[in-house]
Amino acid sequence: METKFNNLQEVNRENPFKVPENYFARFNEEIMYRLPEKEFVPPRKVSLWEKARPWVYLAAMLAGLYFTITFVTQSPEDGGILSSRKEAPVPTTIESASDSYWSTVYITEEEFYQYLEDQLMSDGYYDYLYHQVYQ
Amino acid sequence: MTNEQELINALRDPKSCRQAFATVVSEYSERLYWQIRKMVLVHEDADDILQDTFIKAWTNIDNFRGDSKLSTWLYRIAINESITFLNKKRKQNNVSMDDDDTFLLNTLESDTYFDGDEAQLLLQKAILSLPEKQRLVFQMKYFKELKYEEMSDILGTSVGALKASYHHATKKIEKFLSEPR
Repeated sequence: METKFNNLQEVNRENPFKVPENYFARFNEEIMYRLPEKEFVPPRKVSLWEKARPWVYLAAMLAGLYFTITFVTQSPEDGGILSSRKEAPVPTTIESASDSYWSTVYITEEEFYQYLEDQLMSDGYYDYLYHQVYQ
Repeated sequence: MTNEQELINALRDPKSCRQAFATVVSEYSERLYWQIRKMVLVHEDADDILQDTFIKAWTNIDNFRGDSKLSTWLYRIAINESITFLNKKRKQNNVSMDDDDTFLLNTLESDTYFDGDEAQLLLQKAILSLPEKQRLVFQMKYFKELKYEEMSDILGTSVGALKASYHHATKKIEKFLSEPR
């Protein structure tokens, strides 16, 4: 005998599978007895500090980074350490240097001119000048 | 029908979880059973797999994040359990993945809970000759008439691919049925 169908429409679409009587009602009841006991772990309470800690660490790190960068990059006059060429302190004026020198020498003006004259006389400079002018 | 979000919340609450799970079982056991039965054919096997499905769902309900519908999640568990069962059966019968699963027909013919006629038995044989994915798509669409969108959520395959798969499966089955025997 030849069994042949030309398309799916010719096959009875009715469900050929059966279940025992009251199967689903019994199943629904029985499965509840077979379920294992569950252990419920209460959710751990997370304190405010634990929640905020990563953000506080991040803020501290950024603040540290900011101050380090500011300290390193500020101008040498402000105390920055980027420029290592430290210039020696220069006297503001020559006068002030000489002022400070003479302020420590205790001679009178008359003594000073006498000193200059003695120097000229001893070096023969006076004779040289005399000859240049008068001869 | 109970609001799904309320049901999920009740499942997560230790005080109400058992009662809520009883609601889930009564809501989905029949639908899941038929999906499993179409895949494994024999009632006793389908019954075992359905029990495993609900026990797995019960023990893993805390991992259900609500990204998909509860029904989708349950269908996935049921289909995975059925595929695992079929793989075990293939091993027991020394059948490779490339061969068809017509060996299941022997148990179907002796199953007291199958009363299909000759054409329906032949249709089952044709379905078993399909590759696993095509077979699954055909069973979901032809018998259960699930929407392609629902099938897409369950199987994680695009609607286009499912339509193509169903079309190829139908053609193969019609060819199988039209062959003289």
